[in-house]
Amino acid sequence: MNRSYYWLVLGLSIPAFLWLVPTIWMVSLSFQPNEVLARTTSTTFFGLIPIPFTAENYGALFAFGQTPWWFLNSIIVAVGMTLGVLAVSTTAGYVLARMEFPFKRTITLICLIGLMVPEQAVFIPLYTMFADFGWHNSYHALILPRMAVPIGVFLMMQFFRAIPKDIEEAARLDGVTWLKIFWYVMLPLARPAMMTLAILTFLYAWNDYLWPLVSAQQRDYFTITLGLASIQSNFAQSEGLGRVMASGVIASLPVVILFLIFQRYVVQAMTVGGSKG
Amino acid sequence: MRETPKRKLSQTQAAWVLLVPFLATYALFLVYPFFRGVWISLHDWNLLAVAFNPDAKEFVGMRNYERVMWGRNIEWGLLATPFWQGLGLTGLALSVILGAATKSSRFNVIALGVASAFLIVVSGFHPGEEGRWYDRRFWPTVGNTLVFVGLAVPGVTISALLLAAALNRETRAMGVLRTLFFLSQVLSVTVVTLIWQIMFSPRQGLIANITKTMGGTPINWLTDQQFAMAAIVIATIWWSLGIAMILFLAGLQDISKDIYEAAALDNARGVKAFVFITLPNLKRTITTVVVLQIILHFQVFGQSHLMTQGGPNDTTQVLVRYIYQTGFRDSELGRASAMAVFLFIIMGSFSVIQFIVGREKT
Repeated sequence: MNRSYYWLVLGLSIPAFLWLVPTIWMVSLSFQPNEVLARTTSTTFFGLIPIPFTAENYGALFAFGQTPWWFLNSIIVAVGMTLGVLAVSTTAGYVLARMEFPFKRTITLICLIGLMVPEQAVFIPLYTMFADFGWHNSYHALILPRMAVPIGVFLMMQFFRAIPKDIEEAARLDGVTWLKIFWYVMLPLARPAMMTLAILTFLYAWNDYLWPLVSAQQRDYFTITLGLASIQSNFAQSEGLGRVMASGVIASLPVVILFLIFQRYVVQAMTVGGSKG
Repeated sequence: MRETPKRKLSQTQAAWVLLVPFLATYALFLVYPFFRGVWISLHDWNLLAVAFNPDAKEFVGMRNYERVMWGRNIEWGLLATPFWQGLGLTGLALSVILGAATKSSRFNVIALGVASAFLIVVSGFHPGEEGRWYDRRFWPTVGNTLVFVGLAVPGVTISALLLAAALNRETRAMGVLRTLFFLSQVLSVTVVTLIWQIMFSPRQGLIANITKTMGGTPINWLTDQQFAMAAIVIATIWWSLGIAMILFLAGLQDISKDIYEAAALDNARGVKAFVFITLPNLKRTITTVVVLQIILHFQVFGQSHLMTQGGPNDTTQVLVRYIYQTGFRDSELGRASAMAVFLFIIMGSFSVIQFIVGREKT
């Protein structure tokens, strides 16, 4: 490595640090006492270093308020949605990639068209439908609409198409049924693609805002993303800036940890998700 | 040959067993709602009235579309809206010049020309004497959305492109830096708005604190008409730079190292290499990223809804937020659905463009 390389790294470290500043600030504010923050937010080095330090905001968060409950709701919805999307996408993706049956092309095309429909174009009719069923304020109301989005099917379809046919054909000759081939042969092979899809779905579920906003009106069914929106407009009066920031940190922890552990999959998932839906 | 037991499913049967779970949810929660949305848009449909009495809706045909997009005494004129039509004319001229002069991708030129012509025609409509729009807020809202897209997309694309070019080396330090730039991408919209709302606050905000230390007067970012849109765009660029950067990095990987080495012999390094080698070779990736970003940012909702509540004076009111308000605050589901259909048509055309661009690649 030559000298210009080190200059480049050094030069890039400055924007990278600036890029991190907003996040550092949120974390730092969440560790400062509310009484101090009410007076000034720039005690030590513009408030980027949490002195005076306190962990009280986190304690208060778990003692009162609904943040822990919303966090739990988010886990239930995100895990439920992930399992649901995996179930319908792997099966349909496998069929459309590998099996032959009448109307296959038509069905594939109909599913492809669905990629064009944005969530914002269907949230009003979905709202009225779920209202007719009396389904609002429930976990399945938050989970089901995403299971209908064909992005996962296409992700899995592309993956299954790339697997060599020999394994499957050998099993077929031995008289193994299609369902067993799918379950015992193809699914284990599909683990990396399923991982990518699972992370894509989990991130989407955790961060989704518009549909929970119209569907969950009772605070008991808020996800953490929605709950955080409901407390951020009046942080100054009711909860105290430090506590709201602590909620923000708690709301970000799962996705940030997920990102740091599975960085490769997250990047892949967001690239696929960003480019298709 | 082994004998097949009778209970064994045929290929077709097995296929349907595996397909049904997806097809059922797809039909019920995507296809049906889509058509139901179109159906609602043809009705005078009050959310609360219909909730209590399902017959309280009235079929009105296209009248919702008329009430949203049209007005009394609407006339068409060139230069009715100098800014938008000027932009359209510039675009049209540019596409003609590019089409005639260079061998740049024909598809891009045609797309630019069609979009510009569309802009000239659409923004030429204006109320004549004694005339007015039936919905005075709809077109300004569409305009705000376009302004947001017009600022956020180049902002994200250019900064992501420069970053990707700088970070395109497989070393540990570069990996760490990429991670840092990508991190904000995984946060939810409410965390992003929470952070930036307070960052921009004139009393408690970090930006105001730094301005004060340097002796300046803090700007009231979120409530000043001049700065509110800029504030939302800044937060958005911070949030969504990551994907664009990753897509560019992937595109850069495909450019062969030999080209750079050959160019280095001709003394083309650094900026020169970037302009004459990197940019031309990344053309397709750039198009993809731009189209994706347009689709993504056209759907902006949370930033405007949470940071500025569409204000001040409607300067940050965007289309999805207007749909949401018309539907769920004003209970006018019919009109809201008409706007949603409008949104779908615009997004749908961009999806088609994306599909064609994606096709060109293979």
